[in-house]
Amino acid sequence: MSRARFLPAVVFFGLLLTLPWWLRDAYLQQIVFRVVIFAILGIAWNLVGGYAGQLSLGHVAYFGIGAYSVALFHETWDWNPWLGTLAGVVLACLAALLIGSLTFRLRGPYFVLSTIAAAEILRLLALNLSFTHGAIGMIAPGFFEEPNGDRKTYYAALPLLFLAFALTVWTHRSRFGYYLRAIRENEDTAMAVGINPAVEKLKALLFSAALVAAAGALYAGVFQFIGPDSVLAIDMSVQMALIAMLGGAATVWGPIVGAVVLTVAAEALKTYLERAHTFFYGLLLVLVVLFLPGGLVSIAKQRWFRRTAPRAQAA
Amino acid sequence: MAALQAILNGILVGGIYALIAMGMALVFGVMRLVNFAHGAFLMVGMYVAYFGYTLFHINPYWGCALVGAALFMMGMAVYWLLIRRVMGQSDFLQILLTEGIALCLVGAAQLLFTGDYRSISLPLADKTANLGPLNFNVAYGVSFVIAVLGVTSMYLYMKYTEMGRAIRGVAQNPGVAPLMGIRVRWISGISFAFGVACAGGAGALLLPVFYVNPTIGSPYNLKSFVIVVLGGMGSVEGAALGGLILGVTEGLTAYYWSDSYTQVVDFVLFLAVLLLRPQGLFGKKAP
Repeated sequence: MSRARFLPAVVFFGLLLTLPWWLRDAYLQQIVFRVVIFAILGIAWNLVGGYAGQLSLGHVAYFGIGAYSVALFHETWDWNPWLGTLAGVVLACLAALLIGSLTFRLRGPYFVLSTIAAAEILRLLALNLSFTHGAIGMIAPGFFEEPNGDRKTYYAALPLLFLAFALTVWTHRSRFGYYLRAIRENEDTAMAVGINPAVEKLKALLFSAALVAAAGALYAGVFQFIGPDSVLAIDMSVQMALIAMLGGAATVWGPIVGAVVLTVAAEALKTYLERAHTFFYGLLLVLVVLFLPGGLVSIAKQRWFRRTAPRAQAA
Repeated sequence: MAALQAILNGILVGGIYALIAMGMALVFGVMRLVNFAHGAFLMVGMYVAYFGYTLFHINPYWGCALVGAALFMMGMAVYWLLIRRVMGQSDFLQILLTEGIALCLVGAAQLLFTGDYRSISLPLADKTANLGPLNFNVAYGVSFVIAVLGVTSMYLYMKYTEMGRAIRGVAQNPGVAPLMGIRVRWISGISFAFGVACAGGAGALLLPVFYVNPTIGSPYNLKSFVIVVLGGMGSVEGAALGGLILGVTEGLTAYYWSDSYTQVVDFVLFLAVLLLRPQGLFGKKAP
């Protein structure tokens, strides 16, 4: 690996770290924060959906567990949000173990449907149980005191993004990553060469769920108000998939590119078309699937490396 | 007696569920495509019926045939424009495409009609009829009867017509079907359109007893997944029975436990069937 390969990452994280100095507008800073959160989600989804090729549309379950843990542990035992986040990550991993060991036995559409079912069960429980306050939702504690609470939370989110990114880089190059791609291409063949798909898929899901839960906890800490329809809505799962697919599934930079493009585009459109959000996401999803299954990163790759045929990265 | 009443309510709802799920089962059986936009098409059907009633005074009960026909056309168009392009590609892309279509439809409805809850009030909806010691809402009863007629005619169509035989042929073996002179793409388009028409017609039948808003399709989408898995993926008869079973399960859950937990029970049942008996309750071979 040449040193030049690290350059984009150094520049990217350098820009993010110095953000408050070159981007003074509070509104724009808030958008960047949202990009960071969505990038973490996209990267996390990419491990399972991209590298392992398991189309999970139930990832919002882990997001919700992270968010609700912060709020619930604060309300019942007055835990601070950091402890709540830790508890959320642990709980999300336990949930991932349970959900994964059940759903990974299924393939294709059966797997997709079972992940949705698991996430929907959680949403309905949050909606109906008394201690989650149903549809009213819950108040979550902020991570930092004012002033500059938002900026401090932003700096708390960056290490998480870096961790997620580093994990992807490692996955991209390691034996583990090749196992996952082998499973994506053909699970039976992967088994025949000595890979245990159940274990590898579960590993990917554990990493993924932990990251998503941490992002969920951050979300709760920032917005300080969560409900079943905000942190457990199936739309959020679709959005995670859309981010990864738009940028390029099973690529290192794909989810980050996807998060930047999607968040900025959604924000730009919001000014003009307040209610067109859903339509916009749908249209984008259709266009990506039909015309750009390799994602935006695949265009750049074709240009730079003069590949004759685009690699099928979204199998 | 109250339990019997719960079962009756469940059966009445289950008839409509059966019609919805049958459409999804048909599409899955013939095309191996899980249509995530099924609920969205149901929502479109409800809006068509709603405006048919409010603007042109078309009663949704006989209007459901018109709605079905309109949605059939729409299904054809969606198939030729979009679905056709991902046939033969991975499940992954197919599912994402239909999910995208669903979001487009829901988003378009939000833009056009806002998120308001709309409903119509037929004089029938206030009437209650007795069946022995049990009673039921007449509007539900009529919807049930029409849904059962729809399901039955669909079943007979599949069983006895040339087109139905061709559709079943493609479902049984898409590789051999073209050798028998069946145009698989054409049949796939027709099946998809039939599936969409089922969802739309069922939407029209739901309108007299329920409200409509842009996101109303989502729970029905999930319910039809549950039903289709219960009945065995792709089995049209199984879906009809599965619809009734789900309706009764919901009725009993609402009676013995709570109205708000009906969907939780749906999904637990769904996961249990998927894991323990993936071929469905009545299916023979494993998927």
